[in-house]
Amino acid sequence: MRPEVPLLTDMARHLRRDVFSMIHQCGDGHPGAALSITDLLAALYFHVMRVDPKNPEWPDRDRFILSKGHGCPSYYAALARRGFFPPEWLPTLRKLGSPLQGHPVMKKTPGVDMTTGSLGHGIPIGAGMAAAGRLAKLDYYVYVITGDGELNEGILWEAVQSAAHMKLGRLIAFVDNNGWQSGGVIKDVSGLTNLAAPFAAFGWHTQEIDGHDFDQILGAIEKAKAETERPSVIVAHTIKGKGIPFTENDNSWHKRVPNKEELAAALAYLGGS
Amino acid sequence: MDKIASTREAFIAGLMDVAPDDPKICMVFADSLKAARATPFTEKYPGRWFDVGICEQNAVAFSAGLASTGLKPFFNTYAGFITMRACEQVRSFVAYPHLNVKLVGLNGGIYGGEREGVTHMVFEEFGILRSVAGMEIVVPADAGQVRKATRALAKRDGPAYMRIGSGREPVIFDDSMDFEFGKARVLREYGTDAAIFAVGPILKRAILAAEALAKEGIKTTLVEVHTLKPLDTDTIAAVLRKTRAAVTLEDHNINGGLGSAVAEVIAEREPASLIRLGLRDVFAESGDAELLFDHFGMGAPHVCEAVRQLVSSKRS
Repeated sequence: MRPEVPLLTDMARHLRRDVFSMIHQCGDGHPGAALSITDLLAALYFHVMRVDPKNPEWPDRDRFILSKGHGCPSYYAALARRGFFPPEWLPTLRKLGSPLQGHPVMKKTPGVDMTTGSLGHGIPIGAGMAAAGRLAKLDYYVYVITGDGELNEGILWEAVQSAAHMKLGRLIAFVDNNGWQSGGVIKDVSGLTNLAAPFAAFGWHTQEIDGHDFDQILGAIEKAKAETERPSVIVAHTIKGKGIPFTENDNSWHKRVPNKEELAAALAYLGGS
Repeated sequence: MDKIASTREAFIAGLMDVAPDDPKICMVFADSLKAARATPFTEKYPGRWFDVGICEQNAVAFSAGLASTGLKPFFNTYAGFITMRACEQVRSFVAYPHLNVKLVGLNGGIYGGEREGVTHMVFEEFGILRSVAGMEIVVPADAGQVRKATRALAKRDGPAYMRIGSGREPVIFDDSMDFEFGKARVLREYGTDAAIFAVGPILKRAILAAEALAKEGIKTTLVEVHTLKPLDTDTIAAVLRKTRAAVTLEDHNINGGLGSAVAEVIAEREPASLIRLGLRDVFAESGDAELLFDHFGMGAPHVCEAVRQLVSSKRS
């Protein structure tokens, strides 16, 4: 086990507490989709990414795009705990005047590199960021987390083609492969299987990992960084609602608000703050 | 035969004017480099252009990514593919984050008709983009104005759309005519019987109409509204206050564009009677642009007839 794994594991536990509390307080949100990406976000923001919370516009910083913007409670929790803004902002999620919108907005929230929400746009926009970095001779990486249901969107594949053609080696995308979309199991709703194959066909470097195993996450990012001529996709097998026993793999938590008892049960399970 | 000049080439010339002093300027294409006549730029600035292939939604999103780092991308392809196919990307990822992406749409309006069919023309984008918050919209009247408008847009921060044509637009102004972003301008001031408001290359026909009307004793004020957003409502209202009658002429559906914008000023500020000329909620077709304008009721005689109608009802 890598030495940083215990810290990341504990951070992910904190983030999951934040997520469930935020959605309870806000009264709306997507807990399942937020919880499946928590470990990826913990790895990125607390070990991998070159960022400076005191200087969120730093030109040399690594970029991150949450293409599946509805998973933003995890993202906001990570940014707050990384120091981009005070944790006291978290309970304001989706409230009038809050810098924390229902889907991420780059000019309202420090640390958010791109406005997202409408699905399919992380890879196209990330390709633009990566191309700009190459033009400016900056060595930053662009990380994207896209959902698996999101792979239905056509624009995403337009960008998969052009990013490979442009040899954008500093573009690294995760597919949060939790197996569910709004209407049910992905293979039933839209028939997607073997998610890495179309990326490979378009010329991307592909890997498949357990998206809750920090050793695998960090190892995959290192391999992706070693690829300088191809964009990389890491298909992360995840569990929707991961980390709280009664939300795991239960798609009723796609968009659902935990009541007081459910919140208490979740916090008790996750352990002290 | 009128002198013609290419608004497509003028756009690239305008960009070449400003690119040497602004290394942030770059170009994005959706396999539209040739249509954009952009070779002078791409040959002089290798590395400062990106071609994503035939995918306009991706091109706009990609441009947003470029702009998020401080670059100033100009995305140039067919106007309809930018504003209709990639409408959501323009709205949510360019306009909403207020990114510095300039969208330059060619084959705008009926001017695409001589080369293409309705799928490759667009007569709806003024209405679409006017309803997108923060989006600036410029429609220069001829090639010389496109060159100057391009230079003006390059100096502005934030999202903007400029409509250009097919490459065979009539020359309307000589080189001494300036371009001031955001200002409507009075081009002829024969009198206050009626106002004529026009936008884009079709302005040529409005000028001919105003001149012909003056000869028959009907004295109009002719106003060019090259910036549709932000709209120069003060100038438009001041003219309406004097004329209380207006005709609008645009290469666009009469719904949503200049006619609608002037109607809004009339409703909110200066009551006046109004006749909107443009495509009367129908689709155009292939053919020579000048013949199409006549066919669809956008000729100088149509403007004259509309003005006569307004003037006669004013007098009765």
